[in-house]
Amino acid sequence: MQNQDEIPLEDEIESTTFDTAFETDDWSNYKDCDVLKQQSAIWEEDAAKFPFVGDKEPLSSLAAEYKSGSPILLEKIKVLNEQYAAIRRTRGDGNCFFRSFMFSYLEHIVESQDQAEVERIKTNVEKCRKTLQSLGYADFTFEDFFSLFIEQLDSVLQGNEDSISHDELIVRSRDQSVSDYVVMFFRFVTSGEIRKRSEFFEPFILGLTNTTVEQFCKTSVEPMGEESDHVHITALSDALGVPIRVVYLDRSSCDTGSVSVNHHDFVPASGDTSNASTKVSSVWVSECDVLRQTHCANGAVSNTLITILHIVLRFEVLDL
Amino acid sequence: MQASRARLFKEYKEVQREKVADPDIQLVCDDSNIFKWTALIKGPSETPYEGGVFQLAFSVPEQYPLQPPQVRFLTKIFHPNVHFKTGEICLDILKNAWSPAWTLQSVCRAIIALMAHPEPDSPLNCDSGNLLRSGDVRGFQSMAKMYTRLAAMPKKG
Repeated sequence: MQNQDEIPLEDEIESTTFDTAFETDDWSNYKDCDVLKQQSAIWEEDAAKFPFVGDKEPLSSLAAEYKSGSPILLEKIKVLNEQYAAIRRTRGDGNCFFRSFMFSYLEHIVESQDQAEVERIKTNVEKCRKTLQSLGYADFTFEDFFSLFIEQLDSVLQGNEDSISHDELIVRSRDQSVSDYVVMFFRFVTSGEIRKRSEFFEPFILGLTNTTVEQFCKTSVEPMGEESDHVHITALSDALGVPIRVVYLDRSSCDTGSVSVNHHDFVPASGDTSNASTKVSSVWVSECDVLRQTHCANGAVSNTLITILHIVLRFEVLDL
Repeated sequence: MQASRARLFKEYKEVQREKVADPDIQLVCDDSNIFKWTALIKGPSETPYEGGVFQLAFSVPEQYPLQPPQVRFLTKIFHPNVHFKTGEICLDILKNAWSPAWTLQSVCRAIIALMAHPEPDSPLNCDSGNLLRSGDVRGFQSMAKMYTRLAAMPKKG
C-alpha cells in the first residue's frame, strides 16, 4: 500500500538512475540498512553492559540469579560448585560458544605453557587450511583469520618477544578486532570440517534444519552471530582434536533421588588429539539459551580439556 | 580499518586476475578510495534483463569483511527484490547471512543469480512482486523488459 508511488508514471520513466535523496519520511523510505543500523545500536547497548569475556565470578552468583527459579537448577548448581571454583560470563551474541572456546583454550595454554600442544594444534590448523583450499575457498578469504589465531597461539607461549600475560589475554579477548577474528577463524574451521565430512554430518543437519550441508554451512556456520549446536561443536572438536565437555544445566531430574548434572563429551573422532586423560580442565564454560550468556569457570576436576555448560531454559514455559 | 584495507587490496588483485574468467562482471575500484567500488553486470540470458548492462555501487564498511558491503543498483531495474526508488537490494548474504567467505566478486555473481531467480515472497518492489505472485509472468516480464530497454541499454541514435 505504501508503495503506490512505485507504479511507473510517464514522467518517472525519464529518470533512469536512482534518486538517493528521500522525498518523504514514510515507511517505503525506511531502508534495510536502517534496520541493520538499529540492530547494531541495540548490540552496542548490550556491549556496554557485558564484555565479550567477563571477570571470574563465584558459582554463588549463578545460584543467586536462579534463586526464585526451579529448585532443581539450584541443586545442580550446588553439585557443580563442588567441582568448579568460578565462572566467567561471555556475551550472548550468538558467538558465545566459539568465544568461550577461544578464551578457555588460550587460557589453558597460558597456564600450562604446553609447547607440544601448541605444535599439535598448529599441525591441525594447517590441515584445516588445506581442507578449505580443496573445498574451493580462495586463500585471501580466510588467511587473515588463520594468521591472527596463530599469532595468539604464539603470544600466549612465554619467552617470545611478543609474549603476553594472562591479563593481556583478557584484554585481547575483549578487543573486538582480535576476538571477532578468532571467532571467525573457528567458524571457517568448523565449516570446512563439516563440508569435508558431509556424508557424516548430513543426517544431523537434516534433523536440525532440513537443508543441504552446503546451505547449512553458508547460513548457520559461517555468518557471525549464528548460534552453535552439537553439529558445530562436534566439527570443531574433531577438526582441532580438542575434547569438549558440555554440561547441561536444565530442569531434568533423575528418579534415583540424588541430583546429578548431565553432560555430553565430544571426543575427537580420530587422529591427532590432545591427550585428554592427562590434562586437567582449567576452565569451565557454559552457555545459556534464553539469557544468552556464557560462563566459564576454573575448576579442578575434569578429564577433558574444555568444558562447556549449556543452560537449557528454552522449554520452561512449554513444560506445563 | 587496516585489516579491511589489506583484504580489499587482495580482492583488487584477484579481480584483475579474474577479469577474463568472468566476462559478465566488470568490477572497478574508485581511483582514490578503496572502500568505494562500482560494478557493471550483464543481465542474465533468458530473463527480461538480457541485453542490459546494470551498474552497481558498493560502499564497503571499515569492519569489512566481518560486515557486508552495502550494495545498490544505480541503474533502474524492475525486480521484486530491488527497491524501485533507491536501488536497495534484498539479498540475505548482504544482511544476516553475510560471511567473510564472500567477496565483492562473488556478491556480483549472487546478484546476477537473484536477477534470474526473483524471490517474489519477500519483495522490496511490491508491484513487481505482486505481478509474479498473482501468476502474471507475462505482465512482469514485459515491465521488466521495458525498464531494461529504457535504463540498461545504450540509447540509439
